[in-house]
Amino acid sequence: MKLELIGKPEGCKLLRLTIEIDATAGLSAMALIQSISIRGDFFAIPEEEFDALERALAGVALGKLGLEFSKLARERGLQCAGISGEGLDEIVHRHLATLNERN
Amino acid sequence: MSHMFRLLETGFNPAVFNMGLDEALLRSVAQGESHPTLRFYGWKPPAVSIGYFQGLHEEIDTDACAAQGVDIVRRITGGGAVFHHYEVTYSIVVPLAHPLARENILDSYRLFLGGIIKGLATLGIPSEFSPINDISTGGKKISGNAQTRKLGCILQHGTILLDVEVDQMFSLLKVPLEKARGKLIADIKSRVTSVKHCLPSAGSEPFESLFSTTVGALEKGFAKSLDLDLQRSEPTLKELEIAAELAAGKFASAAWTALR
Repeated sequence: MKLELIGKPEGCKLLRLTIEIDATAGLSAMALIQSISIRGDFFAIPEEEFDALERALAGVALGKLGLEFSKLARERGLQCAGISGEGLDEIVHRHLATLNERN
Repeated sequence: MSHMFRLLETGFNPAVFNMGLDEALLRSVAQGESHPTLRFYGWKPPAVSIGYFQGLHEEIDTDACAAQGVDIVRRITGGGAVFHHYEVTYSIVVPLAHPLARENILDSYRLFLGGIIKGLATLGIPSEFSPINDISTGGKKISGNAQTRKLGCILQHGTILLDVEVDQMFSLLKVPLEKARGKLIADIKSRVTSVKHCLPSAGSEPFESLFSTTVGALEKGFAKSLDLDLQRSEPTLKELEIAAELAAGKFASAAWTALR
């Protein structure tokens, strides 16, 4: 399943997420990310490390995206501005909450 | 003691060359072949540049760009999409070991943008740093900037708007409603201003003249704010060769432009 999410969380630039997830057990915070692309007018230096960080997010549960993003960014020495783990979580959780309301 | 910097004014060039030369300067300074460098330049033909992390087709109407003869280039820096036409663009390259280098990105912006703020003040335009990466005057953006760090150097480049072609700009860029709402401004056009709008006396000044006047003010602003000893120079032959290679092989390639 592919999710196309967009949002501008507090303290972040406009963020666009394309997330391929394994939703065989349904779409929830437990669903595993197969691949993710994060786009927007944010800054992350060095840029190439951000590309690697995206690849490293494969296999992470959707509900833990922000936590893992922050951890990996720290480990890789990324300096980020206009993007944060909290911001990514806000976008994902808002989407999941909307889906829950509909169901 | 003043910091010795090379000062380059490289005129008006196509987008791929402009981005190629900025990267060539970064490499050259990184290898110790050139002094830290401040460069001023323009764009011919006009172009749209997008940030490293932006999705090409999410940000730009590529058909409209082609129809209007506007080039497209992806930058090596983050940040947003910019329409480059009536503006002054600058780049500054400094080794991370240089006394003017700051480890923190925001601190770095604050320091370097002091040069633009002083330059605008020389023109009679009061302005202020608007984090993360903008300069604003009267609540409106007049300068956007982007920074990266590679090969042990900081490269920061940015624009100072001389005039705003709002209708053309928004015919080329896709601006999502979320962004406008987030900034709590009803009219997206009201968020941007320019030297020409701020200085009634500049209204009748030809673009080339206003460009030169602004570059002169910015030179003074950077020199004063950062205590620079600016040595007027030209790019080296090697820098120009690398710029041409990068322009053709990297920045003009579809793979790079549509990276995201």
